[in-house]
Amino acid sequence: MKQFVLQQGTSPELRSFPDIIEIGSKKNISIHLGSMPVLAQEFLRVYCVLEGKFEWQLQGQRFVVYPGDTVLVLPNQVFGSTKGYLEIGTIAWLYLNVTRRENGNLCWGAWSNLTENERQTISNIMLLSRTVVPSRVEETVRILRALQNELFNHEIGFHTRIRHLLDELLVLVTRQLTKQSHSGRDFPKIFLQLEQRLRENLFHQWSVEEMAATVGMGTTHFNERVKTFTGFTPTNYLINIRISESIKLLRKPELTLTDIALDTGFYSSQHFSTTFKKLTGYTPSEFRKKGSADS
Amino acid sequence: MDTIISIELGTNAVRVYAFDLKGQVLAFAKGAYPTFHPFPDYSEQDPEQIFITMLFVLKNLLSEKIHPKKYKVVSICFSASMHTLLTVDKHGVPLGPVMTWADSRSKAEAKELRNAPISEKIYQVTGTPIHPMSPLVKILWLKAHDNETFRDTVKFMSLKSYIIQQLTGACKIDLSLASATGLLDIHKKVWDETVLAYAGIRVDQLPDPVSISDTCGKLRHQYRVSLGLSADTKILIGSSDGCFATLGAGVWAEDMATVTIEDSAAVRVVGTTVLMDKDQRLFNYVLDDNHYVSGGPSNSGGVIFEWFAKQFGDFKEAYDLEVCIEDLMAEAAGVEAGSERLLFLPYLLGERAPIWNANARGVFFGININHERKHFAKAAIEGILYEMYSIQRMLQNHRNIKQISVNGSFASKPFVTQLIADIFNLPVSASSNVSSVSLGAYLLSASELGIYNGITEAAKTIKLAEPFKPNKYHNATYQKYYAIFESLSGKLNSDFEALAML
Repeated sequence: MKQFVLQQGTSPELRSFPDIIEIGSKKNISIHLGSMPVLAQEFLRVYCVLEGKFEWQLQGQRFVVYPGDTVLVLPNQVFGSTKGYLEIGTIAWLYLNVTRRENGNLCWGAWSNLTENERQTISNIMLLSRTVVPSRVEETVRILRALQNELFNHEIGFHTRIRHLLDELLVLVTRQLTKQSHSGRDFPKIFLQLEQRLRENLFHQWSVEEMAATVGMGTTHFNERVKTFTGFTPTNYLINIRISESIKLLRKPELTLTDIALDTGFYSSQHFSTTFKKLTGYTPSEFRKKGSADS
Repeated sequence: MDTIISIELGTNAVRVYAFDLKGQVLAFAKGAYPTFHPFPDYSEQDPEQIFITMLFVLKNLLSEKIHPKKYKVVSICFSASMHTLLTVDKHGVPLGPVMTWADSRSKAEAKELRNAPISEKIYQVTGTPIHPMSPLVKILWLKAHDNETFRDTVKFMSLKSYIIQQLTGACKIDLSLASATGLLDIHKKVWDETVLAYAGIRVDQLPDPVSISDTCGKLRHQYRVSLGLSADTKILIGSSDGCFATLGAGVWAEDMATVTIEDSAAVRVVGTTVLMDKDQRLFNYVLDDNHYVSGGPSNSGGVIFEWFAKQFGDFKEAYDLEVCIEDLMAEAAGVEAGSERLLFLPYLLGERAPIWNANARGVFFGININHERKHFAKAAIEGILYEMYSIQRMLQNHRNIKQISVNGSFASKPFVTQLIADIFNLPVSASSNVSSVSLGAYLLSASELGIYNGITEAAKTIKLAEPFKPNKYHNATYQKYYAIFESLSGKLNSDFEALAML
């Protein structure tokens, strides 16, 4: 990959693509102190390593990246080189105009062909992911190289092709995030990881697609496995956890039913009440009054 | 038509069976719940999640398969895994998660108690080996490391007691589960004051111990309504999974034993006397007024072979462990008895009976350049079964066992059943597909309904399948290999200890 840097505002190549903030590739042969400080970063940043070994940190977590590794930095995340400067080696990068909504979700422009649902899922997976470095995403390099070609060569259909490549990048990086550490062997283990994820984010309106993606599986296969393993559909399994948690919260008199409903991921106190009663025979308030020690 | 429901509160899942009065299965459903390991050695479950899962599964089974056919539910009988401990406050609210049998955070307390002079007496009175699984030892851990919970605990319950209390309000524990707490005098069938004093708790902090046929009051009105059950549905407290599995396997004579291999495993016998082992290796749990179930539990069951399959098997489709295991077994079937001088100690999770060493680890011994995966697979299975055989040999000191009945998903695979026959040199019958635990629950329920005249008569109605006969030639080989297995398993204690200290 030839060295180059294109920046929004200065490079005419990017004029038709306002959402590409910066794209480049660089063979770094000398160290410049302070060239890569640890800072809260704007935009979605994708770095991939082509040569060398880099010691970086993201959100306080230190790690070392090698050729073939891709690093994903979300808007507002604190990222930089642990030593404060860019080490010797070759990297390629892309900054994409992705911002955070008020609710924290990631959003990006109308250039993307991803559906609203897909955007939501990708945003959730990226935000929930604890993996900093999806390794061996050789695809990232291929996409960055293709973007470079399209931006410089302006062949037929390059506008569309560039938007496709950006979507592809988002999709592939997300898929790789979900596939980390899942060998396809130990379903109980990954299901337990999912359960913990669900419990930590119980207030979130999980879709089955998202749950499946969290453990790196397609929806159909995921549905089947969950049903065989737990006896429940994913949705019912989730209701199960929501109700179990709500029982604990109902014992805290200071919480209102609406608080409990929202904390445990129901749309409303009405939705909570109906589901709770259907399963237990008690409305939440009856259950609360009953306590559990009466005889 | 009338139906009898059995609810198994197992280690990984609740299983609900509906039987007709003759013991035929009308319907089945299960719901899994997770075990959390927040720290090494911790094994915890969420009591509310288990309760809700049970309710959910029961409700679905009733509304989808029982009510539409106008079956009338006459009784519901419970079983549960042993050695669970749940602490609750004065409002009946859990103070923390349930500690399961596999929770081994109290290793140090167990070791200390085992070496104390009182241990011999505690074992003789309670029949429960002194081990982190035992609720007695768990309570000692709480007292030492979580004194706040210990002080605030109004009741020390079993998981089943908690579930029953939610459903009916009664605070009871059946004698089978009670006899697995290390706190019950299994001879007099009352909580033992001396042991309780040692643990620092009072009798009123424990549920009332009752017979396994105790009816625990009526279902609360709301649950009756939501489940669509009538007020006269009998709630039977039932027994432990181990005791019911033995009853359900039809092992009801002094010359028979059951080998259960699910994730974990056990060899058990039934009798009217308590078996006392001078090395405290055998358990004795109360089944009913006259019968005890005695035996040895092992950590090294099917979960060990699952580990092997996950690490070394071929997964043609993601997460298809069953097929992967079948393929490995088919491969292993082609290997001669003894796996061409390869032996395996299956202690990947430490071990209970017979060596009772939490620090024990797995070992492949005798590896040669010609060994292939199939030899390791066969050796792994043989190692699991040698371990079962070593428990059977302990029981053989007390009983003259002439026939084996096997159950559990691992032991009842025909390939494994045949190997058990070959290694034990005994005829081995495999139980039918229905869970032996629930079949045991059915037998008890049916006796209570007067269909059988007591559980002895009920147990005798279980027809054992045509047994697998031992292959004498293989047995001769296995006898020689077993001698080496036994020698190895006793030799490595100091090295296991040293490894644990690193």
